[in-house]
Amino acid sequence: MAPVLDASERELRSVSTELKEAVTEGPVVIQGAAHLHGLVAGFKSGEVTIRGDSGDYLGVLNDGATVRVEGNAGRYLADNMTRGTIIVEGDAGYGAGPYCYGGTIVVKGDAGDFTAVMNKGATILIGGDVGDEVATYMLAGDLVIVGSAGKNLGNYLIRGSIYIGGKWESLGHNTLLEEMTPADLAKLRDYFQQYGIEADPATFRKIVRLSEKPFYKAKKPA
Amino acid sequence: MSTVNGTFCVTVMKDRCINARMPGKCATCVEVCPYEVYVMDGTGNVHVQNYNACVGCRICAEFCPEDAIRINPAESEYLVRWPWTFPQVEEIHHKAQTGEYMLRGFGTMGLTPGFDQITIVPSQIASPPPRDKYREECNLEVVIGEDTCKEPIRLHYPFLFPAMSFGALSREARMALAIGAAQTGIISNTGEGGLLRDETWLVKGYEDERRALRRWEPGGYLVVQWSTGRWGVSADYVRAGDGVEIKIGQGAKPGMGGHLLGAKVTEEVAAIRGIPVGSDALSPCRYYDVQDLEDMKRMVAFLRDVTGYRVPILFKLGPSRPYEDVRACVEAGADAISIDGLVGGTGASPAIVTQGVGIPTVALIPPAVRALKDMGAHRKVKLFVLGGMRSGLDAYKAMAMGADGVGFGAAAEIAMGCRACMACHTGRCPYGITSQDPELRARFNPEEAGRRLANFIRATAEEVKILTMLSGHDDIRDLSEEDLRAMDLNTAAITGLKLIGYDRRLPWWENGRGS
Repeated sequence: MAPVLDASERELRSVSTELKEAVTEGPVVIQGAAHLHGLVAGFKSGEVTIRGDSGDYLGVLNDGATVRVEGNAGRYLADNMTRGTIIVEGDAGYGAGPYCYGGTIVVKGDAGDFTAVMNKGATILIGGDVGDEVATYMLAGDLVIVGSAGKNLGNYLIRGSIYIGGKWESLGHNTLLEEMTPADLAKLRDYFQQYGIEADPATFRKIVRLSEKPFYKAKKPA
Repeated sequence: MSTVNGTFCVTVMKDRCINARMPGKCATCVEVCPYEVYVMDGTGNVHVQNYNACVGCRICAEFCPEDAIRINPAESEYLVRWPWTFPQVEEIHHKAQTGEYMLRGFGTMGLTPGFDQITIVPSQIASPPPRDKYREECNLEVVIGEDTCKEPIRLHYPFLFPAMSFGALSREARMALAIGAAQTGIISNTGEGGLLRDETWLVKGYEDERRALRRWEPGGYLVVQWSTGRWGVSADYVRAGDGVEIKIGQGAKPGMGGHLLGAKVTEEVAAIRGIPVGSDALSPCRYYDVQDLEDMKRMVAFLRDVTGYRVPILFKLGPSRPYEDVRACVEAGADAISIDGLVGGTGASPAIVTQGVGIPTVALIPPAVRALKDMGAHRKVKLFVLGGMRSGLDAYKAMAMGADGVGFGAAAEIAMGCRACMACHTGRCPYGITSQDPELRARFNPEEAGRRLANFIRATAEEVKILTMLSGHDDIRDLSEEDLRAMDLNTAAITGLKLIGYDRRLPWWENGRGS
């Protein structure tokens, strides 16, 4: 049975120091951590379960750890992650998965505005709805939204794919609806099976970039 | 090319020119000019084909074996046709023809309030006597993060090389900055373009003739930048630094994000940044993961945690509201703050922003220092002034006004060989400093440029030492506003320094507004 680390009324530095040692021995459970922002930051390995809610910046710069949140996650979940997996059973706040180069984020509930902003290669699965400006300036990776999205979905999309099962209020600049391929369907089926999400890939739509260089073209001499 | 053309007059003296005497025998100017100002015709004769393309970099004059080329400003009408000068007319034509605004590299042109109207007061009978520069010691060391980190940065000289990214600069120029910092014990800063593989050890040591790694004394420091685009950033990147700098803004384009033009996004740059080759790399103007000052405090906290509370956290500010911005940085938990003035440079920026947005460097210092004093953080949280710093004279004045040190960005580029032609944004830097073109980069020798940088820093440090000691001090921390005087009303009004002749501060500075 994993040891339980009670973080109630403790500061980030002391909890983090204890946690870094504890994960080398095996899985760790933390409770009372909703007030701590930036927990499990930059870990290269380990398994951590947050009992209850987490604070902001959970798993920032994660580089290989597996983190599970039994409740809701705060804002900026898995900020700038490069490797690893972060699973949230509840909802995630504003800006989940910003700047990620890799790894997997699974939010079983809803996620806020600016989810997957500047995603550079992570796989991000949202089991519920998302807010506005989701996947703004996404450069690579997959974003899967089982529910619906708000305004400007995929604004200034550069690369990567957005899969959405529900509706959207509006699509952003440089987006294109594309036919789902058998490979896309198989990929989504695998994702849903692996993370226990109930959804039918056949109902999903795929959004990709319209142009490779959506901002300003490299200027020719005047 | 988006730059003002036709502002230089190219003259080739035919009596000296080898090609004029022996057609086909020399075409050095044709070879070195990346802007195709010169052309060789089918008979081997070199002609000045395109005056308008000359940016004034003078590389042709430098390489001409017979010293036959002269490049002179063609703009004698600055006074007589103001405001419809040639560059202004050309700019309007450019916009009318292309529908695009002007871009510019390097930095601000023309006069802004600066340090030249400040003079230094030497020590005489009414003040502590001067120190002997040749026989006595003078402390120039600045320590960042002494009370907050396990491994504070101990700058040998009160200088740093500010953030200049790989992408804006060539790989070789970034290597030279690391080598220069290593030899002088100062900071080299990655900027937001990611980390080069060799950079972490180049800033500490070198490979000797037996290919063994040797450590430079005193050895430099590498600060890794954490910015709004987060290019090439990972936990390993953050931990690779001797400090982490959180970029809020920069002098050349405060309020805007980074802008690396597609011309500079080569395969190597694209691989580090994770964007398509040839695509403009636009860093956002704000953090998508910060909404208020509380978030910034949390960011500082997790960066300290990721780095094991080992290294200092620095902030970089653009020239906006120095008093409020510096206060916010101190509240967020900064160990040092670099504040960049209007004159600060960049690889590429809309010309109107570079020229017309922000506060001049000299005017940032009094409110920034006042903010630190009001927070009880002066000399604890270190203040570095950037933007148009040129010499030990500028550095001394900034430090006497209350800064702990200064940064040399454009000056460092010039020390590496740049001639300030202000065409960094074209990606065709003739000296290979701000270019990704393999042919142009091959002209640049990182070791030689690193040595030049080290020479520049050492000479500048000696200048600071001379000025510190002649004003009666043996430690740069003892410098004060009393060591300076403003030479005109405007400067006295801006800085709060005593005005020469009047020998007092202007009345409104005496009435509680002063720093």
